[in-house]
Amino acid sequence: MSITVELTYDMSKALGTQRFQVDAAATVADVVAQARQRFGEGAEEFQKLSRVAAIAVNGVLVNHKRGLKTALADGDTVAFVKAAAGG
Amino acid sequence: MIKGYAGRVLEVDLTAETFAFGPLDEDVARLYIGGKGYGTRLLYDLTEPGIDPLGPENPLIFATGPLNGSVAPQSNRFAVVCKSPLTGGIGNATCGGSFAFGMKKAGIDILLIQGRANRPLRLEVDGDAGTVRFEGAQDLWGKGTYETQKLLGKLPTKGWNHAVIGPAGENKVLYAGIVSNERIAGRTGVGAVMGSKKLKAVSVRGSRKLDMEDPDKFKEYTKEVRRIFKDHPVLGESLKRFGTGGIVNTTNGRNILPTRNFQHGHFDGAMKISGEWFEDHELKGVKTSCIHCPVTCGRDVDVEGVGRVKGPEYETLALLGSNLEVSDVKKVSEWNYHADDLGMDTISLGAVLSFAMELREKGMLDAPLSFGEVGGVTEVIQDIAHRRGVGDDLAQGTRRMSQKYGGAEFAMHVKGLELSAYDPRGSYAQGVEYATTNRGGCHVQGASMYMESTGPLTINPQSLKLKADIPVVQQNLACAINSMVLCIFTTYGMMPKAVHEMSPNSFSYKVLTTLFENSGPMLRTVMGIKGKPMMWFEKWLTYITGTPFSSGHLQEIGARIFNLERMYNLREGMSGADDTLPHRILHEPTFKGMSSGHPLDKLLPRYYKIRGWDAAGVPKPKTLERLQVRA
Repeated sequence: MSITVELTYDMSKALGTQRFQVDAAATVADVVAQARQRFGEGAEEFQKLSRVAAIAVNGVLVNHKRGLKTALADGDTVAFVKAAAGG
Repeated sequence: MIKGYAGRVLEVDLTAETFAFGPLDEDVARLYIGGKGYGTRLLYDLTEPGIDPLGPENPLIFATGPLNGSVAPQSNRFAVVCKSPLTGGIGNATCGGSFAFGMKKAGIDILLIQGRANRPLRLEVDGDAGTVRFEGAQDLWGKGTYETQKLLGKLPTKGWNHAVIGPAGENKVLYAGIVSNERIAGRTGVGAVMGSKKLKAVSVRGSRKLDMEDPDKFKEYTKEVRRIFKDHPVLGESLKRFGTGGIVNTTNGRNILPTRNFQHGHFDGAMKISGEWFEDHELKGVKTSCIHCPVTCGRDVDVEGVGRVKGPEYETLALLGSNLEVSDVKKVSEWNYHADDLGMDTISLGAVLSFAMELREKGMLDAPLSFGEVGGVTEVIQDIAHRRGVGDDLAQGTRRMSQKYGGAEFAMHVKGLELSAYDPRGSYAQGVEYATTNRGGCHVQGASMYMESTGPLTINPQSLKLKADIPVVQQNLACAINSMVLCIFTTYGMMPKAVHEMSPNSFSYKVLTTLFENSGPMLRTVMGIKGKPMMWFEKWLTYITGTPFSSGHLQEIGARIFNLERMYNLREGMSGADDTLPHRILHEPTFKGMSSGHPLDKLLPRYYKIRGWDAAGVPKPKTLERLQVRA
């Protein structure tokens, strides 16, 4: 099983990578836990940055699914997404 | 004369090289405000159905509104209205820069250009003297918009503001635009209409001051608005910090970033074409803005061999970046510069290039263009502007390309106007907006995507709830905004800071979004209340004109403008059948588990009903009567 995790720009700056793979994650909550682990001592920073980020699985916000309990399948992409405006 | 207006319409006949100042029609101003609304009324009344958009009978209308000429943030935009050579329907575009301010200083609300010159011309309009000089422009013909403005900057007297075209407009590329400073009225081919008139540039000057009903209140309140903007997460922070490119990673994460001619909604190289990347890398730009605007959403970048020029906006980063599968932001910046200098819309340009790439991939076109390859693109852009080789075909836009080469099922346009950079398969309301917007596949005639998928209070963009309601409210508001004339980005500030600060994963957020998603008619009712002015643009209009404006007033005026545009399109032969989306969007899924594409057929009937249109998409007589639309 392989899940791709994509971070917001600010999160990626803190971690030094924008995208990483997770081998074992049954739900979005598992991914969040593993992302937090990567921050290690910066867990507080992770908390701050992820608080205002929505989480999307293959582009669909988990708010509209089962939240952190949303189940994952091999090949899924979990993205932390911030609100933004363009034009 | 109503306060906020100069009270004058300048009509110029290029064929006879004559001009006349006339009075602004106050009744039209009351009904349509100005800008796009006033311009549409004029176009409807002045033209016969079926005119050639590139013929002398198509008027080119530059239109300002009562907010222009003030120091209100985001208020220096003008609208251009004409029949679109790209769509055959209503054509319009708005532009920042400084020309709107210049028009009002010159004491001109509306500049109506008729006929066709028999030689390249430019106009010098001195509002104080009440004169128009018809100057030969042979020396400028063929020059880019940057050089043209630079040369015009050397006029012997000071204080001129310019609107110009580049070679794309001169050569009638159907998506050519009109440029003021480094901003462009890009969409629907307004620059081609100007080029068809052999009009290279319009320069205006004057020293009039805007007459306001209550200047003290306006001044005091504008200071407060500047403080609100400064503290706002979008207007004061993300747009200021990242520019419009700050949304690239958001649309990518939501799977709605056009990629490979809309074959996908996700691009692995998105980060490298994002506004955040600009901030931290060698392309870090100088922040720029239209005059009097504190948002500074523009970015100057260094382009090799050219120097410091305007950087690409979100639409350009997507259409010339991800949609071509290019993550080389230096190249995108270079192409953006060429498009601006040649004077053409980067949205249509990017879409037509990606269409050509897919045609070539399928063996349907011989052109030096491939997804993911930067080679050949610069040359083709030049060929488009100068109508050389295959560039001559690409200059006709995606719809006409598909009629010649095939590939209609992956030609990404609505009514002939190429789709902008929000894939509606992940943003259903935006899809309804694309399908129904009168000028075609455009996002700034409503910006529904912000309400459902990219903003701070996102509802489920793939449910049917509210997806026919949002576009109606947003299109009405956008019609009013584009008639004041104000930057549509101002609507991004309507969502208060407190909402931005909510965690999307919190219970309170879920409650709020659920309420919003189920608000249905309530949303339209609340927006339709004619009460006190609440938003800054309602208060500005009230303080400037002396007439009270509220959300309900703007919804009504916006609906009036939208329905008049609709009647114009119907008169030109369009029908409900044109309210559709590209085959790819309707039938090809881009989301896991999605069986088809956008469910437009389930949403359009409700949209028509809300609009007060019949099942064929024709406004009912009682709707037109209620809105006082004379058609």
